[in-house]
Amino acid sequence: MVFFSAILQWFTNFYDKNLGFIAFIIRRWEQVVEYTYNHFTLVITVMFFSLILWISVGLLISRYEKLANTAFGIGNILFVIPSISLFGIFITIPMLGLGRTSAALALILYAMMPMVRNVYRGIKSVEWPVIEAGRGMGMSAKQILFQIQIPIAWPIIFAGIRVTVVMITGIATVATFIGERNLGRFIHHGIARESADMIIAGAVIVSVIAILLDYILGKIEYKITSPGLKRE
Amino acid sequence: MIVLDKVDKVFPGTTIPAVNQVSFQVDEGNICVFVGPSGCGKTTILRMINRLVEPSGGDIYIKGKKVSDKGVNPDELRREIGYVIQQIGLMPHRTVEQNVSLVPYLLKWPEDKIKPRVKYLLEMVGLDPEEVSRKYPYQLSGGMMQRVGVARALAADPPIMLMDEPFGAVDPIVRGRLQEEFLRLQKEMKKTICFVTHDINEAIKMGDHIVIMNEGKLVQHGTPMEILSEPADGFVKDLVGTDREIKLLELTKSKEIVKRTDDIPSEVWEKDSFILAIDPVQRALETMMKKDTNIVGVRDETETIGTISWNDIKKLINKISGDQ
Repeated sequence: MVFFSAILQWFTNFYDKNLGFIAFIIRRWEQVVEYTYNHFTLVITVMFFSLILWISVGLLISRYEKLANTAFGIGNILFVIPSISLFGIFITIPMLGLGRTSAALALILYAMMPMVRNVYRGIKSVEWPVIEAGRGMGMSAKQILFQIQIPIAWPIIFAGIRVTVVMITGIATVATFIGERNLGRFIHHGIARESADMIIAGAVIVSVIAILLDYILGKIEYKITSPGLKRE
Repeated sequence: MIVLDKVDKVFPGTTIPAVNQVSFQVDEGNICVFVGPSGCGKTTILRMINRLVEPSGGDIYIKGKKVSDKGVNPDELRREIGYVIQQIGLMPHRTVEQNVSLVPYLLKWPEDKIKPRVKYLLEMVGLDPEEVSRKYPYQLSGGMMQRVGVARALAADPPIMLMDEPFGAVDPIVRGRLQEEFLRLQKEMKKTICFVTHDINEAIKMGDHIVIMNEGKLVQHGTPMEILSEPADGFVKDLVGTDREIKLLELTKSKEIVKRTDDIPSEVWEKDSFILAIDPVQRALETMMKKDTNIVGVRDETETIGTISWNDIKKLINKISGDQ
């Protein structure tokens, strides 16, 4: 009994010191739900367009090698622009302004570097003899792309997608400064009010979203990847 | 079956032609082996036949039809030609069964025709379909991969096969076995085969006809016997090697030099020194040494047909090395 109450005591202390953010989340539940929803949908929107756009670009430059370095250069430059200024640039563009469109566009640009690079690297990872054999047996360029190159490149392409999802989920917090009502707002306000609970609440939920999306993608990757590529 | 007429290939950015005015023809049901050092253009010739490389000049005909005709779709052309390469190039993400059935699927064979075909092919190349069908390439040994590669090329029963060092990636023992098995298959299949190797011994073993290439030019072509006995120049002589007499002994069948006679010396009977008509002459030599004699009897399936003496073998060797 003494032992049990000691544990309870320890846990209550630990809770007061370190887990105050849970109380915060419970207290501000409606806001948490709203911000999480906004955050999540922004990430999903960005990923949807990034996948279509950057996988296409990646495939394009793996075919037209001359464009590859240009694409990498653009991707790298976009990637090194501090996120807050990239968001800032977008709100100065007429028609866009504050809000979701600007936020989404900036994040899509961020996604270029890791995604395009990995799609290209994945396609190039397919060994020459496999392509040569495919051609020699009469597969068309399209069949080689869809039946050989993309399936073999999946693990590498997926690694890029997973990195991007985690990254975008994190950077999306900064979009709070251009009017996005998302989890970044907890962090921003938490800093302004010196409230650790608020900052931690925002950060933890962001992390959970990132880990969850990464986990789901991991499952999909495992399903799609051929067992022949999963050698141990 | 396959005719090359003054075929040239100059790769972009180079001035020296990779293939220079090469003409020859491969007859139906024959194995034609291209041999020469690396960079001699032998692989390029192979890849021009199925249009993986387009010639810069000259014409290539298959069954009298020009392959570069506008009406010929290169992809469809290649589906009619088996292709085996040294690196095999099995699809790592597909099972053995899916690899072998690749061309039949491209040709849109009905499903119920493909399954038994794959099973038949795997058995034919000496693999157990039950065991390997569902395996992935990384689970196979080098020799098994080569067999799958050959089965895949044969899948749609193409009349023509192009083989680029098909047994080059396995150790010599497995290679020897694969070569023999393939020759045995070829006896039944009667495919028209273009075979590339840098190994003159493989060429002599596999070829009905040998084309020797150097620096893009055709140096000599002929049967293995012609190449061994009458090398066109120093290059061919070097390529064939200093042991060409021994190779000739391996290559020549006893029945080709047997002295046909009913009068078999009693020495042959006493020492029981007989060989078969289909044995290479080398076997006659071995038997002579083993039995300490200088004459052996030659038998075909049913009866004794004649003798080979030490002098007969010497004559054969002198015929090709007399000029040295």
